[in-house]
Amino acid sequence: MHIPDGYLGPSTFIAFWIIMIPIWLYAGKKMGTLGSKRAPLLALASAFAFVIMMFNLPVPGGSSGHAVGGAIIAVVIGPWAAVIAISIALALQALLFGDGGVTAYAANCFSMAVIMPFIGYYTYKFISGNTDIKSSRRVIAIAIGAWLSLTVAATFIGFILGLQPILYRGANGLPLYMPYPLSVTVPAMFLEHAFVFSILEALVSALIFVYIQRTDPSIFYAEKAAPQEVSKKKSTRDLAIGILLLIILTPLGLLAAGTAYGEWAPEELKARVGYMPPGLEKLSDLWHAPISDYGFSNLPPIMGYILAAAIGVILCVGILYFMGKKIAKD
Amino acid sequence: MKEVNDETCECLATYHGKKSFIGRTIEEIFKFIEAAFIAESYSRRKGLLQSLDPRVKLISIMTIIFATVLVTNLKILTSVYVFLVLIAYISKIEVSYFIKRVWLFIPIFSAIIALPMIFNIFFPGDPLIQLIYLGPGAHLGPFSLPESVYITKQGVYAASIFIMRVATCVSAIVLLFLTTPQQMLFKAIRSVGVPRIYVLTLGMAYRYIFLLIDLVREMYIAKKARTIRSRNMFEEQKWVGGRIGYTLIRSLDMSEKVHMAMLSRGFTGDVKTMEEFKMRKRDYITGAASIALSIVLVATSQNIFR
Repeated sequence: MHIPDGYLGPSTFIAFWIIMIPIWLYAGKKMGTLGSKRAPLLALASAFAFVIMMFNLPVPGGSSGHAVGGAIIAVVIGPWAAVIAISIALALQALLFGDGGVTAYAANCFSMAVIMPFIGYYTYKFISGNTDIKSSRRVIAIAIGAWLSLTVAATFIGFILGLQPILYRGANGLPLYMPYPLSVTVPAMFLEHAFVFSILEALVSALIFVYIQRTDPSIFYAEKAAPQEVSKKKSTRDLAIGILLLIILTPLGLLAAGTAYGEWAPEELKARVGYMPPGLEKLSDLWHAPISDYGFSNLPPIMGYILAAAIGVILCVGILYFMGKKIAKD
Repeated sequence: MKEVNDETCECLATYHGKKSFIGRTIEEIFKFIEAAFIAESYSRRKGLLQSLDPRVKLISIMTIIFATVLVTNLKILTSVYVFLVLIAYISKIEVSYFIKRVWLFIPIFSAIIALPMIFNIFFPGDPLIQLIYLGPGAHLGPFSLPESVYITKQGVYAASIFIMRVATCVSAIVLLFLTTPQQMLFKAIRSVGVPRIYVLTLGMAYRYIFLLIDLVREMYIAKKARTIRSRNMFEEQKWVGGRIGYTLIRSLDMSEKVHMAMLSRGFTGDVKTMEEFKMRKRDYITGAASIALSIVLVATSQNIFR
C-alpha cells in the first residue's frame, strides 16, 4: 500500500501535498483541545500504529499476513487523532526504512491516514448506532468498517496509480511513471484487497475490538467524547475555514504549474477536462477515449501536470467536503 | 556501538521446523532492531555526510529526490545513482551494504511490476530479442496476441528508467537516514518549518516503538516457549487479536503515565528543543551544490537545455 518515490508523477504528488497540509494543520488544531496530554497520547498511538504491522496473523495455507489498523485506531483515539498518529507512523517508515516515498508521502497519508480512519470510524458509528458498547453489533460494525476502509483506500491508490500513464508519457509513447492503466490498477488493487487483505484487516480489527470490549471498553473514543462535545456551530465554522483554506490553496498549485510551463490556455484545459467521463463505472473509458480520440499520448507530460492537479483537487475537495459534513453533523 | 554487528541476536531468532507466524514475527522484530542499530552505528562514523549540518543534509537530499523524480533520461538517472553510491563510500558506508540495503526490497518489487512492460504484448515497440513466433491470428482466450512475442527496446528502456528512478530515490533517503542520528534528523525536520507538536510526537513515537516492540517480542517468545502443539488457526488468530488489543491498551495506559511524568517534570504543553545547529562553510557549499545539481537535473528533464 505504500507508494514509493518514482511511482507518481510530480503534479500528482504536489496536488496531494497541497491537499494534506490543511488537513494536518486542522488535525493539529483539533488536537489542541486535548491540551498538554496530546503529545504522549499521539506518540504512543503512532508507535502502536507502527508496531501493529509487526504482528503476523496466521492465514490459511501456512502463510501469514499483517494488518494496517487504520479503523481500529480511529475508533479508539478518534479519527482526527488517528490522522496525526498514522501520518507520523508513515513518516517514520518513509524516513527510517524507505518504506513509502518522501515525495509520495502526502499521497500515502491521504489514503492510509485520512481515508482509512474516517471511513472506518464513520462506518463503525453508523452501523453500531446506539447499541450497548458490549453488543456484538459493534463487532460487526468494526469488521465492516475495517474491511471498507482498507478496500476503499487500496482502490483509491489503484486509481491514483492508474492515472499516471495517462498523465505522463515519454517521447517514445511509453509511460514514465507507474506504467499500467486504470483498467489494470483499479481492479488489481480492489480485488487483491477486497478478497484477501481487507478480510484479514476486518478479522484483526474485530478480534482487537472484542478483546477491548472484554477488558476495558472505556478506552473507546466515542465513550469519552460524548459528554464534552463541542458546539455544532463551532465545528461547522472550523470546517468552513478548512475548506476555504483548501480552495484558496488549490489554484495556487495550478498557478504555479501554469506559470512555469504556461503553454496551455485555460480554455484548452477546460476542453480536455470536460471530456473526462463522469462516474466510476466509466473508468475504462477514461483510459481509452482520450487516447484514441484526442491523441492524448502525444501530449507532453506538462499537460498532465495541470490535469492531475485539477482531477486530484476536485476529487479530494469532494471527499473532504463530504467528510466535513459528516463531522459537522456529529 | 561502534562497529556493525551483523549477528545481533541471531541465536534467538532461530527456530525449529517450518516458519510459523510466531517465528516470523520474532524474526521481523529482530531485523527491525538490528537495522536500527546498524543505522545508528553508521551515523556515528566520521564521514562526509556525517560531518554536515543535518538541516543542509535534509534539504539537499529532499531537493535531489524531487529532481530525480522528474528525470526521464536513463543515463542521467544512472549517473545520479552512481553519484549517491560514491557519496555513500565517502561517508564510510560499505558500498556492498548500501547497495544491498537499497535493492533488497523496493526496487526488486518495482522490477516485478515493470517486467510486463518490456514485452510487445503490452506496449508495442521495436524488437530487441525475439522470444516465440506465434504466427498470425494467435490468441489466448479472449485476448488476441501479436504475431511474435519479443522484448522491445523501448520497453526495456522505459522499465529501466522506472526501476532506476525508484532505486535512486530510495538510495537518497537511505543515505540520509544512515548518516544522521534520529534526534538530529527530527530536529532538522523541525527547523525546516514542520510544527512543533508533529516533531515532538515523531521523536517520542520513535523511542516508544522500541518499547512496544520489546513488549511484542516478549509476548511472542513467551507464547513460543509455552507452545508444544499449535492450536487451530482461529484460536491462534484470536490470540494475535488479543495481543494487539492488549498492546493498544498498554500503550494508551503508558501514554497517561508518560503524560503525568512529563507534567511532574514541568511540561506545560510547550515544547522547547535545544537548537544547537551551526552552519559552517562546508554546509553552505554542500547546500548550494546540491541545489544547483537539482536545478540542472530539473532543467535537463524539462528540455530547457541539453
